[in-house]
Amino acid sequence: MATQEVKKKKEKVKEPDITFFDGNILEMPKNGDLPFLKAYRCKKCGDMNFKTTVCMECWNEDFEMVPLSRKGKVYSYSDIYIGQQGMETPYIFAYIDFPEGLRLFAQLEGEVGSYKCDEEVELTVGPIRMNKDGLPIDSYKFKKITS
Amino acid sequence: MKLDRDVYIAGVGETSFGKHKIDFDGLGRAAAIEALKASNIDRPDMVQSAYVGNATNGFVTGQTVFKDLGMLGHLPIINVESACSAGGMAVYSAIKDVATGLCDLSMGVGCENHTMHRAAGAAFSAAETDIETMHGAVMTGKYAMRATRYMHETGATIEDLAMITVKNRKHATHNPHAWFKGDISIEDVVNSRMIAYPLTLQQCCGIADAGAAVVVGTLEMMKKLNIAKPVKVAGVVVESGPYHNKPRDITGDDITETSSAALYEESGIGPEEVDIVELHDAFSISELLYYECLGLCPKGDGLKFLRDGQSTYGGQCVVSPRGGMLSYGHPIGASGVAQIVQNVMQLRGECGGHQVGPTPKVAMSHVTGGGLSGTEHAACTMHMLVKGW
Repeated sequence: MATQEVKKKKEKVKEPDITFFDGNILEMPKNGDLPFLKAYRCKKCGDMNFKTTVCMECWNEDFEMVPLSRKGKVYSYSDIYIGQQGMETPYIFAYIDFPEGLRLFAQLEGEVGSYKCDEEVELTVGPIRMNKDGLPIDSYKFKKITS
Repeated sequence: MKLDRDVYIAGVGETSFGKHKIDFDGLGRAAAIEALKASNIDRPDMVQSAYVGNATNGFVTGQTVFKDLGMLGHLPIINVESACSAGGMAVYSAIKDVATGLCDLSMGVGCENHTMHRAAGAAFSAAETDIETMHGAVMTGKYAMRATRYMHETGATIEDLAMITVKNRKHATHNPHAWFKGDISIEDVVNSRMIAYPLTLQQCCGIADAGAAVVVGTLEMMKKLNIAKPVKVAGVVVESGPYHNKPRDITGDDITETSSAALYEESGIGPEEVDIVELHDAFSISELLYYECLGLCPKGDGLKFLRDGQSTYGGQCVVSPRGGMLSYGHPIGASGVAQIVQNVMQLRGECGGHQVGPTPKVAMSHVTGGGLSGTEHAACTMHMLVKGW
């Protein structure tokens, strides 16, 4: 009797969705040091930006990483009551201006109605949304300065 | 864009704006048929190219719009997407075909059906993979941040912002195609549901469905088609938004400022000569900021311009005479085309109850698109139209 080769059915394994978003911006040092945001300075013309494919000014591809200040100022913000599909409301987002001359869009931790323009805030890391598997995704956020 | 040949607008068409049970293609087709008929076009092989603006309804939207009009096979149909600027860009592209001599008769269509295809109760994000979208960005909130900063710098209040809605809804009172119209008080605008502080529901454009279409051609074509009132295209501009991550003044708008400057230069028409404007009033704050960005008034005088009645009937420049997006709602692909349709009708004196008097001679439209990180908007499309008869 001919043996029939039993084809093992390939089981599709779903790749787990991310639980941490670094976006080439956020660094979490393994030695337990505080997390920080990364900017990149072009080695040729000195222009500073977040990670880009090439320097947007001169198309040079060599950069040096520059850690950004852990504190920045709220340039503007909004308390969000109708948010993205699937995101719990309310939440707060803002543009944060850094002393190094860069601006970043980020969520703010805390209560709606508690922030003001030009207020100084501090970097923290926490959940920004749920992933496709229902688990929180951690990323950079900002919070009030407590000390 | 430098127009090598003069380009004119023949027929235009638009559906009513609001919630429709007809899908995007039916809405686009209804508007296209109206524009074709108004252009005295009576054969399926006359139009030589077509551009269709749509952002969310999937593949080959343009071919779907035109498929049962007998036009497929006779002309190239190109689908255009740049979020809210899609429709404006479709008309721009049709004008470009005629201006460059690629063809003598072209058309731009915009259509969208949102409400049949998306769940209610959530706000739009700009670009799915964008880093800001990942962090919860929605267009309402991005405009809200502009309002927050504007209020912080100028001392303006939510009541001030609400005046824009009150004005535009009043403009729309007798406009049969507008969705939200008539009297609304400042209190009702301010006390409506908070969407993204400081923007309440009545300061946000409705998520709507509609279609709009514009036929363009050469002067010879206008004569051949026996168009009584051809509207001349005095200038067109499409720009992509400057990208950087450095601080910028969001109470201004870099792309609107550079696009309008380019349009004024190209058309030889200055802001003080513009009689009516349809602009991107997707939210109350945007119209207020754009008075200044478009140079209708000096920087810092936006609120004064509004309060003095300079942007309403009888004022220096009637802004959003049809009621704007705050009255029409904002079916992404259709909006930019509908602005042009209404401007053409105003120049021809065909607007009935919302006709601006005396009949305007110069009409400008402005529609931005997308909220990509690092830009204020991914795109901006502007058209300057003048009487051509």
